[in-house]
Amino acid sequence: MKVACVIALSLLAGTAAVSAHHSFAAEYEGDKPVTITGTVAKIDWQNPHIYFYVDVKDEKGGVTQWKIEGYPPNMLVRQGWKKDATMKVGDMVKVFGWRARANPTQAAGRDVTFADGKKLNCGPPAGTGGQ
Amino acid sequence: MKRVLASFAAMGVAMLLAGSAIAQTQKPVLKPVPRTADGKPDLSGVWVGGGFALLFGDAELEAIKQYDAAAGRKPLPPPEPPPYKPEAEKKRQEFLARKGIDDPMARCLISGVPRITFRPLPFEIIQQPNRLVIIYEVHHAFRFIPTDGRGHPDDMEPSYLGDSIGRWDGDTLVVEVTGFNTNTWLVGVGTFHSDKLKVTERYTRDTHDTIIYEATMEDPEVLTKPWKQYATLRLKPGERIREYECIENNEDIQRFEKLLQK
Repeated sequence: MKVACVIALSLLAGTAAVSAHHSFAAEYEGDKPVTITGTVAKIDWQNPHIYFYVDVKDEKGGVTQWKIEGYPPNMLVRQGWKKDATMKVGDMVKVFGWRARANPTQAAGRDVTFADGKKLNCGPPAGTGGQ
Repeated sequence: MKRVLASFAAMGVAMLLAGSAIAQTQKPVLKPVPRTADGKPDLSGVWVGGGFALLFGDAELEAIKQYDAAAGRKPLPPPEPPPYKPEAEKKRQEFLARKGIDDPMARCLISGVPRITFRPLPFEIIQQPNRLVIIYEVHHAFRFIPTDGRGHPDDMEPSYLGDSIGRWDGDTLVVEVTGFNTNTWLVGVGTFHSDKLKVTERYTRDTHDTIIYEATMEDPEVLTKPWKQYATLRLKPGERIREYECIENNEDIQRFEKLLQK
């Protein structure tokens, strides 16, 4: 059992360099998780990261637009996403992620929950190295 | 009649449950390591060398665990800390303190060896009688690795991936890589190197689905001794190499510049 655990850990940890583009810490704060709920306003399906924008309404009727960074398209398709089908403008979504160091309305997204309850990863775990 | 139907239904459910239990405990198929006509292990295939949790789904990760256990695979040695000389270590710590903002990779520069092996996008090895070709999804990168006994060319220009020559040591492919420029980091944040870098890679296909990858880095200018890193390369059947163009919409450079000014 101990051996199995070590193997499991090594699977997740891999090497010290699991990064597809940039260090997570370069832009995001892994100790500042954030969950936002709103309507998808725009999707930039592009390299080296996708970005999607979510309009979040507050109690007074104001709207704040959040910018969410995610995996590049090549990783998203391997996590079960499909361009123009999985997420569309107008969809209600709940996004979990971590706040950006510089921009107060930007986050690194980890997962998205859709209106039908379906949940998909959209970015790496905090501290894994990057996206 | 209703009771009979109900008991049939219960039986059906029980059989389904039993069936799924059997499926869950089914042992992974352990196929032999394929070999080429000359008897060498065939390393051909699409492989992933890092970021398994990013590229594999939960079911695939579970299957990998079961495969390793069934094949009796042992864990790899833990990562060694980088043995930098004091002055070089000071510089590495500065890079770390800046949270990787200076990473050449964040500027979409091609990763060198061995870092490119650990990037969480797949690569394909094509093994031919006198050479191997590795095509990396990340950065559209490729390496030609002759295995016909030739040495490094005498007109090498410093490059990101260096120049590779391979030879077989029993069932292990050994690749010596030299001729690097100084624009890449070796493994993680801040692991810079000089143009005296030499990397020796060892590829051992220990099972059908895995290659044990060992990279030894030697750089007399910045390291006190050879530095080793290991990875298990995982076969990803049914996978294909796609296009990944990093620079197209890379906004990070501008954001990093702002962060650096803070």
